[in-house]
Amino acid sequence: MTGEIRVDNLQVSFNGETILDHVSFQANPGEMFAIIGPNGAGKSTLLKTILGLIRPQGGHVSLEGETGKPIVGYVPQSRTIDDETPIQAGDFVSLGLKVRIIPWMSPSERRSVKRAMEMTHTLHLAKKPIGKLSGGERQRVFLAQALVRAPDILLLDESTANLDPNAQEQMMQLIKSVCHEHKVTVLFISHDLHLVKEYADRALFMSRGHYETGGVNHVMDNKAMEWLYHSTDHEKLGRRGLFEMDREHKTGYF
Amino acid sequence: MFQYDFMQHAFLAGTLVALMCGTIGVFVMARNLSFIAHTFSHIGFAGASFAVYAGIDPLEGLLLFTLLSALGVGQMGVKAFRRDASVSVILSFFLGLGILFLSLSNKQSNFTATLLFGSVVGINMQDVWQIVGLTLLVLFVLALGYRLLKFDSFDQVGAAAAGLPIRWISVGFLLLMSVAVSVTVQIVGALLVFVLMTVPAAAARYFTQSVFAMIVVSSLLAAAGVWFGLVMGYYTSAPVSFYIASFEAVMYFTGITYQRLMLRYKKVRAS
Repeated sequence: MTGEIRVDNLQVSFNGETILDHVSFQANPGEMFAIIGPNGAGKSTLLKTILGLIRPQGGHVSLEGETGKPIVGYVPQSRTIDDETPIQAGDFVSLGLKVRIIPWMSPSERRSVKRAMEMTHTLHLAKKPIGKLSGGERQRVFLAQALVRAPDILLLDESTANLDPNAQEQMMQLIKSVCHEHKVTVLFISHDLHLVKEYADRALFMSRGHYETGGVNHVMDNKAMEWLYHSTDHEKLGRRGLFEMDREHKTGYF
Repeated sequence: MFQYDFMQHAFLAGTLVALMCGTIGVFVMARNLSFIAHTFSHIGFAGASFAVYAGIDPLEGLLLFTLLSALGVGQMGVKAFRRDASVSVILSFFLGLGILFLSLSNKQSNFTATLLFGSVVGINMQDVWQIVGLTLLVLFVLALGYRLLKFDSFDQVGAAAAGLPIRWISVGFLLLMSVAVSVTVQIVGALLVFVLMTVPAAAARYFTQSVFAMIVVSSLLAAAGVWFGLVMGYYTSAPVSFYIASFEAVMYFTGITYQRLMLRYKKVRAS
């Protein structure tokens, strides 16, 4: 199905250290799917492996697109944008278009850029240098770049991490509306459990690349997430809280 | 001034090289390769000296050494090569090597000065044709790979995520840069490659707000610098390279001042 993500028994190691140990899960088309877990759990590695930037030692990833191979949009954790670099936001969004030999944009490509910027409410910023935008504006421009080719799948690596709570909410609402209106499957990493609870349909909890109890990663459905949040008083657990929660449940559910 | 062949050659070759440097310089700056460009020019100096020693065309020596270096840097990875210590060691070694080759050959002081400081008015028609060919080649490849290069230069994380062959883009760009450096060394010399390769692009950043505009402004600044240098060099006894370097330096500081004034103006308008 278009936008379906299937990860089966994925194994990734670096220098002999296992990062992902038989990870399996499935994200359904048009679903908001969160990946949560402490630092070093392998969340970003998982996303990069899905994206094809890291070759796994075992298992496989299958992504379904409308025409076979899916179009995947990606918003990374951080980007090195020089404040003085004179690339305009509209120009930056156009970088995400399919690379062609002709140096200039076709009318249909211009329409795609305009549509992506309208979707992310950044059209008014099109002529502004990206280095001069606020953190929230930049993130929306990055999102527009990821959406410019009308992706089947959107991968977001802590894309709201550096934003204030209001900007985080706005960004997540935007992503949710894109996900629902355009049937895009969204896989996002977040340390903000409140946002995960609010916006994710389902989630995957990772802890150091494997289940604490069974040696395989756990696919969390809504019921498990409800259990996770209602079992603690901390609605907005930070990274430290997440570690504590992990430790608390080491010999329990996880 | 234009009744002399050497001035016609100088204007034609200088303008083309300026346009090439103005264009490629934008990507050199965006990819933080300005010191590698500088190192390539020193490697080129050793290559040209070797060519003199071996009795071949200096441009062939320049191209041989810089192209091999580009492949070496591409293989090693730009990050490893960019380390201060690596750059200074390689730079010193190749300068020394260049001096060794020149000492072994019978052409010494004049040729050393030409290689280090350039001799735009000393180029003949054959040099002009070589420069025209190589410059058009570089500009043509830059135009074909414009989008690819723009993506990888201004958003490396996004380009990698989009599955672009970033390693090949890097090697390809280093090869283009090595050709551009080899050609530029003949105009402004090995020590002043910065003057056309990075200063106009650095100045253009302060006047423009888009990549394409930066390429246009950078190319115009480089060309204007060459023209100014040639005219002033013709009417005075000072070297052309000095005037080009002075013009570009003035443009760069004008750019900084312009940007500061614009920021101040915007603040005043906003309040």
